[in-house]
Amino acid sequence: MSAKWEKQSENTGKLTFEIEPDKIKEGLDQAFLKVKKNLNVPGFRKGRVPRQIFDHLYGEEALYQDAVNILLPDAYSAAIAETEIKPVDQPKIDVKSMEKGQSWVLTADVTVEPEVEVGDYRGLEVAAHSTEVSDDEVAAELKKKRDQQAELVLKEDQPAAKGDTVIIDFEGKVDGEKFDGGTAKNYSLELGSNAFIPGFEDQLIGHKAEDEVEVKVTFPDDYQAHDLQGKEAVFSVKLHEVKEKQLPDLDDDFAKDVDEEVDTLEELKAKIKEQLQDSKKQAAKEAVQDEAIDKAVTNAKIGPIPAAMLEEDVKRQMDQYLNGMQQQGISPETYYKITGTSEKDLRKQFEDGAEKRVKTNLVLEAIVAKEDVEVTADEINQELENLAKEYNMKADVIRKSLSDEMLKHDIAIRKVIDEITESAKQVEKSESAK
Amino acid sequence: MESQKIILKPVITEASTAEMDNKRYVFDVATQATKPQIKAAIEELFDVKVVKLNVINVKGKKKRVGRYVGYTNKRRKAIATLSSDSKAIKFFEE
Repeated sequence: MSAKWEKQSENTGKLTFEIEPDKIKEGLDQAFLKVKKNLNVPGFRKGRVPRQIFDHLYGEEALYQDAVNILLPDAYSAAIAETEIKPVDQPKIDVKSMEKGQSWVLTADVTVEPEVEVGDYRGLEVAAHSTEVSDDEVAAELKKKRDQQAELVLKEDQPAAKGDTVIIDFEGKVDGEKFDGGTAKNYSLELGSNAFIPGFEDQLIGHKAEDEVEVKVTFPDDYQAHDLQGKEAVFSVKLHEVKEKQLPDLDDDFAKDVDEEVDTLEELKAKIKEQLQDSKKQAAKEAVQDEAIDKAVTNAKIGPIPAAMLEEDVKRQMDQYLNGMQQQGISPETYYKITGTSEKDLRKQFEDGAEKRVKTNLVLEAIVAKEDVEVTADEINQELENLAKEYNMKADVIRKSLSDEMLKHDIAIRKVIDEITESAKQVEKSESAK
Repeated sequence: MESQKIILKPVITEASTAEMDNKRYVFDVATQATKPQIKAAIEELFDVKVVKLNVINVKGKKKRVGRYVGYTNKRRKAIATLSSDSKAIKFFEE
């Protein structure tokens, strides 16, 4: 097999390759087996025509088209392997010559991956992230927990204050007309939660249970219902109950309620601190990783990225996203309906990040190639087991759907990421002290 | 009788092509031809040696077109077995 690669521009080129007579013969035989199944010739049962008779009736040339289709995948991948190019798209194949008894010559217009010149990726300087947890943060976390444990206690004959929860009926009118979603009964609303139109909650403060209040508000200009934007509305509201939030006392009992594993408030505080520290460390690690990879990508020189690659990435991201939705029982159609978006909007959303993702992948792959990252069989098995745990499937089931090549690729990429992250130098910067 | 008038055409069917491997060739022949005539004609036309000759008369099929009843053409089929050293008869030029 002889193949020739001619570069025509940055990312495209012409691949010329041949199929030898021996191969052609095999292809023709296979094509004939396929074709003869549906062939009716007088004197023969359907599908029983000998090759000789077929050639006489239709000519061998009738098989060429099918033979090419059969031979092409092998020939094409062999040509790719020989010329060591990395195509990113389906090639456009042309047949140059097809002579009986000679090699067939074909050309393919191929789009290839841009060349990547790896820059520095070791010892990159990244902003340091503090992982210290202050007492204030612990206190804030504690307060959150207290809010969660808070009990609502009925306030009798006392005006509602900010932070209280009221049970209300309301009926809203715009220009004297009722509108959708403007009416509800026994609605539980926390004052100060900003769940309603700005101003609505404030006007209820100071009223007692059984009061009837007229609330006048103006819909904000960016309200989600377009026809209501900027309109004035009058709500007649009836308060049924006013409830006060009662926070539990900060003591050992509270600690036990929050977490069964701790006995005292001090222990709870220590535990919260630990959790906060863990999550901060995790966040810091991720931030360092992101920044380091970002820098590595910036340092590398990448040719222009072919549109086909971006397209592929967008498609993959969309599929993944919609699949995730599907698993939650939301079909793509419903999703578009709920969010009021269309496939185009979603596509646009992913298109923005596509270039960066593709670039990152290219650079990481280039580093893998440069470093000759080795992946052992043990590591593959380990990876399989991890995946099995993650998806709750048997390891051999996963094995079937993933090739070793894919796993190797993933593991190698991860190794490079780790390498970049670990070698990155954290540099203290004033802005990161936040 | 001339050889070309005796041997009318080869019979190309699944069965006949399968038998070609055994050096048996099937022809439609003139209905009035005799075995010796057929044998001589095949040997002359194809330059081969016939060691055995079976001949079958095939009656025409009864067909009717509306109220008229008729028959399709009757045929005489000859199956010639060639000697093993005879060359193969090629019905299709390569």
